[in-house]
Amino acid sequence: MTGNSYNIDVWGLLVALAMVAVAAGISELMRISIGKTLLWSACRALLQLCAMGFVVGYVIRANNVWLVLAVIAVMLVAAVQITLSRAKGVPKGLAGPVLLSLTITMLLMISLVTELVVRPHPWYAPQLVVPLTGMLLGNTVSALAVGLSRFYESMDERRDEIDTMLALGASAWEAARPSIVSSIRLGLLPTTATLASCGIVTIPGMMAGQVIAGGDPINAAKYQFVVFAAIAALTLVADTLIMTMVYRTCFTADDQFRPASER
Amino acid sequence: MSTVTYPIMGDESFTFRATGMSCVVPDAASSTDDGRKGHEIFHGVDFSIGGGEIVDLVGPSGSGKSSLLTAFARLNPHASGTLMLEGRDSGEFTPQQWRRAVAYLPQKPILPGDTVADAIRVPWTLAVRGDAERTRGPARFFRTNERRARELLPDSRIRETLDAMGCADINLSRPPHDLSGGQAARVSLARTLLTEPTVLLADEVDAGLDDENAEKVADIMAQAASGGMAIVRIRHRPPDGRAHRIATLADGRLTMRIVGDDSVKETV
Repeated sequence: MTGNSYNIDVWGLLVALAMVAVAAGISELMRISIGKTLLWSACRALLQLCAMGFVVGYVIRANNVWLVLAVIAVMLVAAVQITLSRAKGVPKGLAGPVLLSLTITMLLMISLVTELVVRPHPWYAPQLVVPLTGMLLGNTVSALAVGLSRFYESMDERRDEIDTMLALGASAWEAARPSIVSSIRLGLLPTTATLASCGIVTIPGMMAGQVIAGGDPINAAKYQFVVFAAIAALTLVADTLIMTMVYRTCFTADDQFRPASER
Repeated sequence: MSTVTYPIMGDESFTFRATGMSCVVPDAASSTDDGRKGHEIFHGVDFSIGGGEIVDLVGPSGSGKSSLLTAFARLNPHASGTLMLEGRDSGEFTPQQWRRAVAYLPQKPILPGDTVADAIRVPWTLAVRGDAERTRGPARFFRTNERRARELLPDSRIRETLDAMGCADINLSRPPHDLSGGQAARVSLARTLLTEPTVLLADEVDAGLDDENAEKVADIMAQAASGGMAIVRIRHRPPDGRAHRIATLADGRLTMRIVGDDSVKETV
């Protein structure tokens, strides 16, 4: 890092918490009754982030390839669990496909972004690999959750259309295709919106962080772009992979539509 | 178990034959005689039809007429039985090839697309009607075949067919949801007839139509049958004199009556 960084002490954290507490207090006075949740979430976030900080710090200091892989594995498993709990109306037994699609995109991320673009030494440089994986997973998890929910919802809405398509000789893929396309589009919407608005409306979190920590803004911008580009591309890959793996759950082996109650 | 034989055509000339058709809808509360969990709609039903023949399928509502037709088209996940088309077992066909030959026409006309022409061209966008030199690899999954469909089924051919069906008033560039119920039913029928199936399974396509429109639909189907198509119609209207045989499905059994013959033959 070049330039200066400004450290935050314990009092800084308390001031931040106090801000939330005041906002929560005002909302209680106005009977919006979101104050408690807000305060509770803020405390949780503080603890989670500190814990993350300690873990990442430890992993970076240890600089051990197995430790890095273990952290990534834990993140993957957590990502699967969060994806499935956030996706509504999906059948059971999707953990495998979700894990597979997350793992594939994560491996692509590491091999392309880390090893092709940044080329750190050692190749598993924890300070790079762990945060990158986290950012990628954060994005793909929400894209997959939205995409999966939308897919099953759309398949049930289009039930009559699917039956007609099948009767006209459509394969399962052909009958499911409109739902697949609409769910991938919806899953990618936040990603494309972020890409379009960054640098004009918002300073993305990663770039802001680097700038605040005293990094060179141009360097931060380059990093941010590489990460955004990779995330956008890999989110599309993850969504497409998961759809090709799960669309058959809506059909029987004989290419008949399987209603929601029988999946 | 007795097989219905239709005296005009010999046994061997049947275009389509179904034997031992059963349908059990899963249902935790009840179970069938052989101990499977579920509600039995019909059991051991035999049916056959020859080219050019029209058979009406009647019976009380809920007797499983639609389930039987979807079973014939291999669209019914709860049905089992043996199906033969022109001497070939259904196992020799992919589901898509089978449904191309044995076309089920649902009661509710579903016309996807921006225009009537698009809705009618849907079947030609599908791989089963595609030519041999199709795109290989993953691109084929996301390719739409609208251009090819336009070549296979040009607007002029659709226009001709609709005009011949008394639908001269339907503009091809209209959005399908602007059509009246009768028009939508005829467009949906036209789409399936244009695919030239060997067997047409028409599920109450004249329901909700006025007498005049129902008559038009019946005429169109009679014309198709005269061209050699085998047609099964589910009907709730009084007989219109176009059917050669009338099959009645009630209490899980199918009985067959030849029009103009009072004897009733039964399949178990």
